[in-house]
Amino acid sequence: MVKLQINGKTVEAREGEMLLAVIQRMGIDVPTQCHHEAIEPTGNCRLCMVEITKKNWDGWKKSVTSCLYPVEEGLIVETHNDKLFEIRKTILDLQLARSPHSDYVTKMAAEYGLEKSSYPAEPQGDDCIMCYACTRICDVLGKSAIAPTMRGHEKIIAGPFGEAPPDCIGCLSCAHICPTDHIKWNDKGNTRKIWDKKFKLIKCKKCGKKTITREFADYLIEKRELPSEYFDTCDVCKRKETAEKMGELVIKAREATI
Amino acid sequence: MKYRFQVIPELCTGCRTCELACAFKYAKDGIPGTSRIYPLAYAKDQYVPVVCFQCDDAACVKACMFDALRRNDETGAVELDKERCVKCEACVAACPFGCALTDTGQNEIVKCDLCQGDPVCARFCPEAALKYVEIED
Ligand code: SF4
Ligand code: SF4
Ligand code: SF4
Ligand code: FES
Repeated sequence: MVKLQINGKTVEAREGEMLLAVIQRMGIDVPTQCHHEAIEPTGNCRLCMVEITKKNWDGWKKSVTSCLYPVEEGLIVETHNDKLFEIRKTILDLQLARSPHSDYVTKMAAEYGLEKSSYPAEPQGDDCIMCYACTRICDVLGKSAIAPTMRGHEKIIAGPFGEAPPDCIGCLSCAHICPTDHIKWNDKGNTRKIWDKKFKLIKCKKCGKKTITREFADYLIEKRELPSEYFDTCDVCKRKETAEKMGELVIKAREATI
Repeated sequence: MKYRFQVIPELCTGCRTCELACAFKYAKDGIPGTSRIYPLAYAKDQYVPVVCFQCDDAACVKACMFDALRRNDETGAVELDKERCVKCEACVAACPFGCALTDTGQNEIVKCDLCQGDPVCARFCPEAALKYVEIED
């Protein structure tokens, strides 16, 4: 265990734990955008910045991204002050210029008193804030189908060479994790479309309800050695089957006692 | 101390009290959640409560590529960590018993976690068809 101080309170934390985890456990609200429990922290958004110091640092302080900074014995942490407010405000001001149409960014910026960006807004700006949550979750999946391509202003998340990603299996994890809902997808009939790629949805063999994509199921069957029959039926029909099977057992048991 | 959840289908009358208890326990803003237990008819007037078996070699745990489903050794339940879940629905598709669910109303994936060790369905079942009992280690 490590002892440290956060906003004047002494707390204990596990060795190797990141500051953000401890801060959140204390119920302190530090803004984050690129943080998610299922992916490795990379410190992209920088909103989770906090100020740290130690008794023997002679009053010297430094700002660090709390999602990436492991706890240390004797650390003194401040999560909210004027300087941190200004840092967060500047980040959101820049994001507002890049993504003026994003509800997510607009709402967060409003909390810092920003109605519109003090920088020239990009009217064509899309909603991607380059947090890379999507590419990181696809890495955890083991596919790494998407990545940032191009440079500077032109940078976007896409498949290799900006084309439909050959390795994508249409699982939607990237779309669901994206904080700004920038990644568009749709299911129409038996087809799912994401990243300009089309996928076939599995149709429940009993009722026809659509479940996940064939490609995603095949990946799970292979990687996690799951029986392929599990994926042939939807959850509702599988519950019915379960009731029928359990019912058979009850009937058999009853007959045996007669 | 270890516990095991028991379903005794012979005693179930299909009154659906368990389903209600579950839905209300997981209500948000007064709106009932998706129940994790389903008393279903397998023959005329014959019911069995279908609920997660907390399988030892659970398909949902295997299917989750993001490690959001893990065993709680104390309660015996497979629990879903909402902070890790990305709602890919792999677990929903994989569970052979149909007991990993999508709560469309609350936009969440849900499954029975034995109410963290105090299953509300068992508490409310008037026929004692659901039991949470201590077992030997
Ligand atoms: S939908 Fe495609 S790009 Fe997105 S996480 Fe799944 S495999 Fe990766
Ligand atoms: S698409 Fe969404 S998740 Fe991906 S980098 Fe952009 S904002 Fe982040
Ligand atoms: S829906 Fe959530 S819990 Fe289920 S497999 Fe996907 S990430 Fe894991
Ligand atoms: S949450 Fe720490 S940098 Fe984004």
